[in-house]
Amino acid sequence: MSENLTLVQAVRDGLHDAMAADDDVIALGEDIGKNGGVFRATQGLHEEFGDDRVIDTPLAESGIIGTAVGMAAYGLKPVPEIQFSGFMYPGFDQIVSHMSRMRTRSRGRFTLPMVLRAPYGGGIRAPEHHSESKEAFYTHEAGLKVVVPSTPYDTKGLLISAIRDPDPVVFLEPKKIYRSFREEVPDEDYEVPLGEASIRREGNDVSVFTWGAMTRPTLEAAENLEGEIDVEVVDLRTLDPMDEETIVESFEKTGRAAVVHEAPQTGGLAGEIAATLQEHSLLYQEAPVERITGFDTPFPLYALEDFYLPEAERISDGLREVMAF
Amino acid sequence: MVVGDVSTGTELAIIGAGPGGYVAAIRAGQLGIDVTLIEKDAWGGTCLNYGCIPSKALITATDVGHEADTATEMGIHADVKVDVEQMTSWKDGVVDQLTSGVEKLCKANGVNLVEGTAEFAGNGKLRVAHGGQGQGSETIEYENAIIATGSRAIQIPGFEYDSEYVLSSRDVLDLDSIPESLVVVGGGYIGMELSTVLAKMGCDVTVVEMLDDILPGYEDDVKRVVRKRAEDLGIDFRFGESASEWEERGDDIVVTTENADGESFEYATDKVFVAVGRQPVLDTLNLDAIDLEPNDDGRLETDHTGETDVDGVYAIGDVAPGPMLAHKASKEGQVVAEVVAGKPSALDYQAVPAAVFTDPEIGTVGLTEAEAEEEGFTPVVGKFPMSASGRALTTGHSDGFVRIVADEDSGFVLGAQIVGPEASELIAELGLAIEMGATLEDIAATIHTHPTLSEAVMEAAENALGHAIHTLNR
Amino acid sequence: MPTEFKLPDVGEGVAEGEIVAWLVEEGDTVTEDQPVAEVETDKAVVEVPSPYNGTVRELHYDEGDVVPVGSVIVTFDVEGEEVEEVDVEPEETEDEAEAEPEAPDSGGRTFAPPSVRRLARELDVDLATVSGSGPSGRITEGDVRAAAEGEAEEAEADAEEAPKQAVSKVEEESVSAEPQEAAGREKTLAAPATRRVAEELGVDLNDVPAAEERDGEAFVDESAVRAYAESQQAAQAADTAAVQAGESGESGAREERVPYRGVRRTIGKQMEKSKYTAPHVTHHDTAVVDALADVREKLKPVAEDQGFRLTYMPFIVKAVVAGLKQHPYLNSQLDEENEEVVLKNYYNIGIAVATDAGLMVPVIENADEKSIPEIADEMRDLIERARERSISREEMQGGTFTLTNFGAIGGEYATPIINYPETAILGLGALEERPVAEDGDVVAKETLPLSLSIDHRVIDGAVAAEFANTVQEYLENPSMLLLE
Repeated sequence: MSENLTLVQAVRDGLHDAMAADDDVIALGEDIGKNGGVFRATQGLHEEFGDDRVIDTPLAESGIIGTAVGMAAYGLKPVPEIQFSGFMYPGFDQIVSHMSRMRTRSRGRFTLPMVLRAPYGGGIRAPEHHSESKEAFYTHEAGLKVVVPSTPYDTKGLLISAIRDPDPVVFLEPKKIYRSFREEVPDEDYEVPLGEASIRREGNDVSVFTWGAMTRPTLEAAENLEGEIDVEVVDLRTLDPMDEETIVESFEKTGRAAVVHEAPQTGGLAGEIAATLQEHSLLYQEAPVERITGFDTPFPLYALEDFYLPEAERISDGLREVMAF
Repeated sequence: MVVGDVSTGTELAIIGAGPGGYVAAIRAGQLGIDVTLIEKDAWGGTCLNYGCIPSKALITATDVGHEADTATEMGIHADVKVDVEQMTSWKDGVVDQLTSGVEKLCKANGVNLVEGTAEFAGNGKLRVAHGGQGQGSETIEYENAIIATGSRAIQIPGFEYDSEYVLSSRDVLDLDSIPESLVVVGGGYIGMELSTVLAKMGCDVTVVEMLDDILPGYEDDVKRVVRKRAEDLGIDFRFGESASEWEERGDDIVVTTENADGESFEYATDKVFVAVGRQPVLDTLNLDAIDLEPNDDGRLETDHTGETDVDGVYAIGDVAPGPMLAHKASKEGQVVAEVVAGKPSALDYQAVPAAVFTDPEIGTVGLTEAEAEEEGFTPVVGKFPMSASGRALTTGHSDGFVRIVADEDSGFVLGAQIVGPEASELIAELGLAIEMGATLEDIAATIHTHPTLSEAVMEAAENALGHAIHTLNR
Repeated sequence: MPTEFKLPDVGEGVAEGEIVAWLVEEGDTVTEDQPVAEVETDKAVVEVPSPYNGTVRELHYDEGDVVPVGSVIVTFDVEGEEVEEVDVEPEETEDEAEAEPEAPDSGGRTFAPPSVRRLARELDVDLATVSGSGPSGRITEGDVRAAAEGEAEEAEADAEEAPKQAVSKVEEESVSAEPQEAAGREKTLAAPATRRVAEELGVDLNDVPAAEERDGEAFVDESAVRAYAESQQAAQAADTAAVQAGESGESGAREERVPYRGVRRTIGKQMEKSKYTAPHVTHHDTAVVDALADVREKLKPVAEDQGFRLTYMPFIVKAVVAGLKQHPYLNSQLDEENEEVVLKNYYNIGIAVATDAGLMVPVIENADEKSIPEIADEMRDLIERARERSISREEMQGGTFTLTNFGAIGGEYATPIINYPETAILGLGALEERPVAEDGDVVAKETLPLSLSIDHRVIDGAVAAEFANTVQEYLENPSMLLLE
């Protein structure tokens, strides 16, 4: 049995099924209880699971994350929500000083089976701080897994896998596409493994690596280029640990690569991927890796938002550049 | 939504949940399309809530009362009392049943229902205002859109509906008491249907019509039957007069009309009901945002698949060209849904039937004799009077006739006009004949049940062929 | 209006002419055919006439100028008519009169049930063009389907032509195999992938001729590397051939250049492909065929009575088929992509034929199901038509094993090249008396030398030898063929 769900509905469904299967799974965050979450990601959970398992917190990110760290160290499986990924910064210390280090600090005696969820990314006409795409901060921190789904089916499966993972996972939900489309999502509890990329479209001329909200415009660009360039689109799904095997295999097949991410270029994961490809497959390389990314500026206000975010035309142009080398 | 605007994506956005919109939505859902149906007022639209359904309910109710009251010849002696409030609430119950039925059917077919007022915000985008409940408004991004916003009653200057004395058809269907007298401005089908309803409940009705006869578009011999009966029911007709103003006078009002010669007339009455036609609702949609403009008739031009000049945007029902009829909207809705699903569907119907629920009813489809000649056919006509129909006589209503127009050479049925009991139902057979490319022979050769009114159809066909049994052949 | 007049081709392959004298001046009125100039070519002085009625607007050259044919020498002002556009106006008026088909009387109405209308849309049939067979001309389902099929047949006919054109285009693509000079640079830029290819092909990047420069340095791409590698191979092959051929010593020109095209080039490509794909090993043996010769002698008159000429070939074909049935790997094909050897259960034997245009291999299909007379007859027919060039492509495709009878011309043993994509080929030397050792004596016997080349990826030498032994057995004991 399955239903057509949007991405945010799949978040809710995944969280619900994980909570139903295991009493240790606790959800906490601002407005997630009685209000059902500002994006309705936790709608109905409070009615079903009650105060003890769905907790409305004060407006205190450091407290939310810190409390979750404590809960996880004691054996619970907390799923704290930070309302917008841009608000993770007040809790950054908790993340990098404690969430990522508990396993090593305790020499493996304690692990933190927690999932820090946050809607992330631009494209919703929001004011400052609400459109951040800083996944690179968290991939750079060893001890954290970073997951970014791009479809409703993947969202539910990855969230359930993340909740069941013994180590901390930062789960970034691309809010621009929260309600953009529906997909069949099975009713039952299922897992999509972490650390595995998904080849969304096969091709032979160039490999494009992308994730989150950028997957759709990349596929659109690939469609538009049909007949001109044969594009392979790989959705990474997990950014840390990255599925190097799939990335390298794709690159060795095509010899050319591009990376599309909305995060700013400098220090963004495109550089990381380019280095990885070069390390493993230099002799297969036919052109420099093209980085099609957000610009090295603060995320603009919404009049300029559409220029900042890579869309199909900019991606197509980038792919033509790669092929022309 | 706290901050920002997360847009909802959908494959097909339908604006308006009337007989065009909700049918399109259900069909689209059946075909697996992700469809969102947006309605600002009530599911089922005008037809279900303020038009077709309530009016037919009241017509039936008043018929029952009137029949019972006038059946002494048959040996029925009744003392009929009409409880208008109860009638209205019964009518409301029927409407509610159908409205919730529409909602259920939509949900069962996977249609996403959104309550709110939609307008275009650019190519591929709609802005829907929720009118107070929950979020203020949201953006819906569509791949295809259907405009199915229907029509509204035309207001004449000086007779705005905002007064308690000036009634629109919606008001008439929602009365809690019958006025003693009523001036009806407009002798079209809405004016005639509701005049009949009110006259049968004892209201003193005067119909004021600008043209020189009722029911424009229908042939004289058809209209005559209805007009005579209306006169028998006590309805007065004033032709060639247009309403110019009204004013309160004591407890009542006085309506002033003018004719072409400049003479004016005054009518004292309880209320005035204005039914001079309907116009398409397009001005609330911000069509500029997608560079779409109505044509000179105020409709959106469409091609044979219902698509407008803008790719992916379709128009059906009263906003698209053609007769403003619910069943035409529904057919268009079905076709557009199929087209969006990639099926080779098209609006290729040969004829749209029409019905007027006066007393007696009128049902027409296809070409009249004159229209057939204009199109280059050599028409042959068959007619059968209801007075020769056994069944008609047994109902006590035998005014009217069935006329079939066909092509002399080939025998193909081109059109039909029926006046009489159940004309609205009988016309369906002729609609099928036209769509199938059937000939007079096909209808004449088909056995029709006796004793029914449908035999009149068969005999009209036989009459055209020169061998009807129960009437003289030319 | 001003009209240009170009120096016409005055004949005999002349490319230019000298304007000896102008016979008119600017402003003069001329009539059609009036001479306007005297022009001298290699051989003679000719008068050049005016093609128009009009006035001379401008003379573009002086007396004594040498003018190439086709240059504008005079501009005329021509009266009224636009002489330029004389030629190709289509007969518009006539066409228009016929163009409009008879519009049907029905005034745009269609008499077809809704289900039939929907079928028409699905099958992409325009109802306006369908005539109905139903009563009064009503259009039925059958009418629509028939119309759809008619259209499909037309489309198929069109489509069939297209691939033929495509094929001929492919054949026309030329691959230049001119040897390229080694460039001998010190530094060359190339993408990492290109470097790998160069390494694999054993090519020094600094030798690859560079058509491009990047950043001031020579830059080569993968295709340049490959082209250079190919040209190196071709040059080596050409050198070898030249050395073997020696000086041609023909009178007249030292060298003669013959175009390498068409069938010759196709054969060349096939040979190249086969030899460079399959590792060839040739197994030689000799069959002592006295018994076969006897049989043939006896049957020759019988065959003549029956109206066909009996050679050894049909027997050999049958013997080979018998051998292939017992050694199926020689009747196979290697599918490299799927990594499978395809063993074929049908026996289509190709017979190599020398024609004026070169080697052709018509195929006898299902040789195992045909009798010796049938094979003889078919072989004669195929060979005749191959020599006449009236044989079709299909008749030369689908073979599973090939026989090449170079012995008909002469010779003993050879190293035949396998007919790609088969995996084996049997060459036959001249069938004649040769000395054979028997019981310590040397006797003259009828012998048939066999040269069996096999694809060593699929067939080992031992298997080849076994097959050859089997075929020999049948050839040396022809009565065994009766059991096949």
